[in-house]
Amino acid sequence: MEEPGLSGLEARAAGGVMSVATVSAPFDEMLEGGIPRSTHRALFNTLEELGPQGLAERARQRDSYLDRHGITFTLGERERPLPMDLVPRIITPTEWQSIEAGVIQRLRTLELFLADVYGEGQVLHDHVIPRTLVTSSNHFHRQAWGVKPANNVRIHVSGIDLIRDEHGIFRVLEDNLRNPSGVSYVLENRRTLAHVLPEVFAKHRVRSINEYPERLLEALRASAPEDVIDPTVVVLTPGVHNSAHYEHAFLARHMGVELVEGRDLYCRDGRVWMRTTAGPQVIDVVYRRIDDDYLDPVHLRPDSVLGVPGLINVARAGHVGIANAIGNGVADDKAVYPYVPALMRYYLNEEPILPNVDTYDLSDPDQRDHVIHNIESMVVKPADGSGGYGLVMGPSATEKELVGAIAAIKADPRSWIAQPVVRFSTYPTVVEDGVIKPRHVDLRPFAVNDGTNVYVLPGGLSRVALPEGSLVVNSSQGGGSKDTWVLEDTQTVDRPIPREVPRAAMVDMDIPGRIDAPVTHDDRMLQQERQQQQQGDASC
Amino acid sequence: MLSRIAESFFWLGRYIERAEGTTRILSEHYQLIVEDQSISEPMACAILLDALSMPHIGVEDGLLLVRSVVGETGLPATITGAVSAARDNARAIRDSLSADTFEALNAAHLFLSRGLTHSSSPGVGLHRVLERLFVVNGVIDWTMSRDEAYYFMMLGRQIERIDMMGRLLAMRHEQLWPNSGPVAVLRAAGALSAFLRTRAPLQGTDVRKFLVLDETFPRSMRVCAGDAELAVRELERRGVGDGGTLLREVGMLRSALEYTTSDDPKEIDRLISESRQAAVRASDQVNRAFFRQHGTLVWSH
Repeated sequence: MEEPGLSGLEARAAGGVMSVATVSAPFDEMLEGGIPRSTHRALFNTLEELGPQGLAERARQRDSYLDRHGITFTLGERERPLPMDLVPRIITPTEWQSIEAGVIQRLRTLELFLADVYGEGQVLHDHVIPRTLVTSSNHFHRQAWGVKPANNVRIHVSGIDLIRDEHGIFRVLEDNLRNPSGVSYVLENRRTLAHVLPEVFAKHRVRSINEYPERLLEALRASAPEDVIDPTVVVLTPGVHNSAHYEHAFLARHMGVELVEGRDLYCRDGRVWMRTTAGPQVIDVVYRRIDDDYLDPVHLRPDSVLGVPGLINVARAGHVGIANAIGNGVADDKAVYPYVPALMRYYLNEEPILPNVDTYDLSDPDQRDHVIHNIESMVVKPADGSGGYGLVMGPSATEKELVGAIAAIKADPRSWIAQPVVRFSTYPTVVEDGVIKPRHVDLRPFAVNDGTNVYVLPGGLSRVALPEGSLVVNSSQGGGSKDTWVLEDTQTVDRPIPREVPRAAMVDMDIPGRIDAPVTHDDRMLQQERQQQQQGDASC
Repeated sequence: MLSRIAESFFWLGRYIERAEGTTRILSEHYQLIVEDQSISEPMACAILLDALSMPHIGVEDGLLLVRSVVGETGLPATITGAVSAARDNARAIRDSLSADTFEALNAAHLFLSRGLTHSSSPGVGLHRVLERLFVVNGVIDWTMSRDEAYYFMMLGRQIERIDMMGRLLAMRHEQLWPNSGPVAVLRAAGALSAFLRTRAPLQGTDVRKFLVLDETFPRSMRVCAGDAELAVRELERRGVGDGGTLLREVGMLRSALEYTTSDDPKEIDRLISESRQAAVRASDQVNRAFFRQHGTLVWSH
C-alpha cells in the first residue's frame, strides 16, 4: 500500500513494510460478492423497495424526530444530534452467543484482576504482568487500595469495543471500564428507527433492549452498603456542558433517580448527603459519570470543583457504593490490554473466546523497533487516551505526523501502544440522499454486573466512521451510529413465528360500549338552517 | 347557561380527551407491534380494537390498524372522528369559546381530515396529532374563564379519562409483551416520567396500581374521580345542581379509590371495572340532570 508523501519513510523501512502494509479488502457484513447474505436478505429487499427517494424522505423524518426529542451529543461548544444511520445492523443469534460469552469471560477476568491489584497483588508476585506496568499506570490509584466494594463488583457497567477483522472474526479492540458512554443512544436509536422506518422491522424478530435501565438500577442497588434495605441511588454528572450530559440525564430519568452534580452533595459523619428541599438526605450509591481524578479533591485532584470532598473516605468505610469503582482504569489501560489473554489463563484457566488485536509492547526494544520501522501500517494510540484523541493512523497520516509519533514513542514508550491497522468490517450506510455505501463499523456491547449475574444488552452501540475509508468511529470525532439488532430466532430470520394468545384472556375486563353525543341536528334541521339567508353575508 | 351549550362543552371535553388518549394508546401499541414481534400481528391488532370497541374484521397488520383507528369523520370512536365531533361541538358554541381554541381545534381537524397521518411512518403522523391536541388543551387552559362552561367541559374530560384509562388497562400489555409492555402502558398514559420519579424500580404490577390509585398523577383514575367531584361541586356552588345524585356518584367513586387499602391485583382490577361503570352512570346522570331535563331539545324544533 503506497501513500503519497512517504518516500523518506519508505526508503528507511524497506524490507518487510510492504508485506505488513498489504491488507485485504474489509469484511462486508451484509453483502458477499455484491449479494446479500441469507441472514440479511429480508432487510436488503426492504431497503431496495424503499429506494433512494424513500430513504431520503425517512432521513428527513429522522432528523426532525431527533431534533424534536432533543437527542443530542455535545461536541465542542455545540449540541448536535448524534447521527443515526437508517440501515440497521443485524447480528445473528449465533454470532451474539459468542460475543456475549466472550464479554462475560473478559469481565470476570478483569474483575479478578482489579480485586487482585487493589488487594493482595498475587498476580504481580507471580509475574503474570510486569509490576511496573501496573504501578506506572495513570489510572492506578493507591487511594483506592483496600477499598472493598459491598458486593465485590468494581465494573458495574462496561463497554468492551469489538471489531470484525478481514475474516469476519470479532476481536476486542479495547476495554472501557471507567465511564463507557453511548447506551442512551442504543435505546434511542431503536425507538427512533421503529418510529421512522417501521417496515424494516416487519420480517425480523429483534431482541428487546428496553430492560436496560431496570437492569442497571438493579445492579446499582445491589452495590449499596449491605445494611441498607432500600438504597438511594443518584447519577453524578459533571454538568450540562459535558459531552455526554444527555446520556446522564437519560439514565437518571429512566431509572427514576436524581441527577446530581458535585455541588449538590457533601460528606459528613461518614455518609454522603444530598441537599434537598426537605433537608439533607443520605445517598447509598453514586453512579458517577465523572472521571476518577475529579471525584474527590481530598484524595485526588485538589482543584476539582466537580467532585465531593471526602467521598473516598466514605467508600472506604463501606457507607457508599461507587459505580464504577475508583481506579478501574488500570484494567482498561491500553498497555495492560495485551496481557488480558494471559490474565484469563491465570485467573480462569480458560482461552479467550474473543481474541485480542495484535498489540506491540513499546517498552520492549525489539517490538519498538519493529513498530518504528513499520509506522505507516500501524495505529499509534495514547495508552490512557479515549475518544480517539491523540491517535495516529499510519496509512492516512502525514509524514510530519508519523515523524512526530516516532519521536513521541521514543521519548515515552509507556504512554503509547501500537497495533497493525485492522481494516475492520463495513456495513452498508446511507451516505447522502439515499445513496448506500459501505462504511466501517465497530460494536460496543454494554454489560451490567449486579454481583450475581452479568447482563449483556443484546446489541450495543454500533459506531460508524462516516467519511469514506475512515477507520475512526468515535462520536467525539464525528462518527455516527446504527441501530443494532440481535435476532431472536436461531432457526430462521425470514419467517418469525409469533406467539398466539387467546384474546379473551387478555382483554378480560368488561368494556362498556362507547357513549357518544346525541345527534342534535336531524337532516331537516340541517337543511333548514342552510336555507336561512344570512343578512350581511352576501354584501361583503 | 343553556342546556345545549352546556352539553356541547361537556362533549367538547370528552372528545378532545378521547382523541388524545386514543392517539397515545395507538402510537404505543403500534410501536410495540413494530419492535417486538413476539405475538402475531393480527392478534395484536384485534386486542387494541376490542379495547376501543371497534370492529376488527380485516385488520391484519399494523398499518391497517393505524388506518382503522385514525379512522374518518363520522366515527366518533376513531381519532379523526373524535376530533371532528369535538369541532362540531365547538362550532355550536363558537361565540363562547376563545378564537384561539377554535383555531387550534380546527387545525387538528384539518390535519386529520386531509389524511396526513396515513404516511408510511405512522409514528411520525400520530406524534403530530398529539402535538396539535396538546396545543388545544394548552389554549383552553390559558384562555378560558373558570365558569360553568369550563366545569362542564372538565367533567366531560374526567369522565372520558376514566373510560380511556380503563380501555388501556384492559389490554394487559404487561402480559402480552413482558419486556416492553409495562413501559409502553406508562407511555400510553403519558405517565412514564411521573411513574419513574416515584416508583422506580419498574415492576409490572406496580404500573396498574399507579395508574389507578396514584394520588398526584393527573390521569390516574383516583385523581380523575377527584377532579370530577370538584367540577360537580363547582357547578353546585354556581347553583347548577341535580339534587346531589351526580355528586353522590362521583363522590363515592372518589372515596372508593382514595380509601382502598388493598394491594391485591384482583382488587385493583375490581376497582378499574367499578370506576368505568361509575363513569358510565355519571355520564348518564349528567345527561338526565342537565341536558334532557325539559324534554329533548323541544325548543329547537
